[in-house]
Amino acid sequence: MKAIEIKNLIVKLDGREVLKDINLSLDEGRFIGIVGPNGGGKTTLLRAILGLIKTASGEIQIFGRPPEEVLKTGNIFGYLPQTLKIRQNFPVRVIDVVMMGRYGKIGRLRWPGEKDRRKAIECLSMMNVEELKDVPFGLLSGGQQQRASIARALAGEPKILILDEPSTSIDVVGQEDFYHLLKGLQKKFGITILMASHDIGAITTYVDEIACLNCIFHYHGNPLGALNETVLTGLYGKKVDLLLHTDICDKCERLRRE
Amino acid sequence: MQKALLVGIIVSLISGLISVFVVLRQMSFIGAGISHAAFGGVAIGFFTGINPTITAIFYCIAVAIGIELVSRKGKVSEDVSIGIFFAASMALGIVLVSLSKKYNVDLYGYLFGNILAITDREVLLSLFVAVLVIGVIILFLKEIFLITYNEEIARVGGIPVRLINMLFLIALSVSIVISMKIVGIILISALLVIPGATAQLFAKNLYLMIVTSCGVAVLSTVLGLFFSYEFDIAPGGSIVLTATALFLTALLFKRRQ
Repeated sequence: MKAIEIKNLIVKLDGREVLKDINLSLDEGRFIGIVGPNGGGKTTLLRAILGLIKTASGEIQIFGRPPEEVLKTGNIFGYLPQTLKIRQNFPVRVIDVVMMGRYGKIGRLRWPGEKDRRKAIECLSMMNVEELKDVPFGLLSGGQQQRASIARALAGEPKILILDEPSTSIDVVGQEDFYHLLKGLQKKFGITILMASHDIGAITTYVDEIACLNCIFHYHGNPLGALNETVLTGLYGKKVDLLLHTDICDKCERLRRE
Repeated sequence: MQKALLVGIIVSLISGLISVFVVLRQMSFIGAGISHAAFGGVAIGFFTGINPTITAIFYCIAVAIGIELVSRKGKVSEDVSIGIFFAASMALGIVLVSLSKKYNVDLYGYLFGNILAITDREVLLSLFVAVLVIGVIILFLKEIFLITYNEEIARVGGIPVRLINMLFLIALSVSIVISMKIVGIILISALLVIPGATAQLFAKNLYLMIVTSCGVAVLSTVLGLFFSYEFDIAPGGSIVLTATALFLTALLFKRRQ
């Protein structure tokens, strides 16, 4: 059974077609990157998969079940939304945020227990932020918040991790570490990972497959195939200048000498 | 006076708890709106001869749901729908009251509080409501908290967000109506905001915030009632001024840190 199966999906927002003719078949345990320009429908696609928005036509199946059904169970997806607008004085510590990821698993009318706390701390240490567990969440840096939020998404032991532009608040170096971490999680737990990003260059190295989205899929397949002038021009609608880094890159040579 | 103190403490425990979420969910305007809308509900009670507290409870729940539905449809923003329901309810109340002048004395009590007229029945009612409201909130504490943090993450986590939001609005409406006799319709919204706002200044986690908020609410009520007794001043105003003083003190303290 496929982790995610999408057939002829059309999504409309305010009468306008935001997603059209979307077909996707994703095996369990795969890491797919969805790239494309802002406004191209990446977030919409993710939210349709999660069951958060209604679709105009077409079919989505998550391990054979429709998203609305999966939404009720709450233990398939781990979700990192694009922006987390948290007021600085919201009374949560990092450990509280991660524990929230367990609520779906704990269920109604029951209190979190020792097992849940241990799992939360485990996820925090996986993301290398265990020592921050009692710090108010609002005081963390962007990168630290991101890691803690991933820990939250992982705490519920999800089968599918959905990340919407996860690297926006992380600097370039941090991003590399981050993708590395995700790759590690994929290998260790066999989690299926779906990541939306506008950062096409960085993620091609880490993902198993790439889909280029701007209302329709302009490309879906091997990551390197996306780094192609025809594909990118079609995707972004403009001429694109691609800078590829190789070992004999002369720009880097100059930086090293200086 | 003893009954007033008892009902006051019970009501302030409820308010303290609800206030935490009113502040975190940025619902102080909805709180004010429903509070003042209660006037319409009370007036309906007078007009029809049914117990005003009962009519007010149902009316406030209807207004709360109405606000939810109207703003959810998207045509009107939430603050606009609150403003409309708020004003229309008060207008309804004023019209109904003008139709029968003999209820003015009772009306004053509902608008500004009337602790001397609290019956044994009302003490039991407030106790019952406290158990119900506090019970429901404690039961769904983690769900309400997660929804407050981020609604979409809550939905993905399998939480029935709309249902729980509705439940919270009902709990809010009920707590508002139950506080009428102590502080009066005009000032209820203060008890929904000040305790939570004070607690938020210092609370590092949810439990501390709840405890602090309830503490502030109870302290304000007890001290406020004491001052009103000692200096013969209106109890409702006395309680709210005490709460305000506590908040300002806390604010000063926080600035110093």
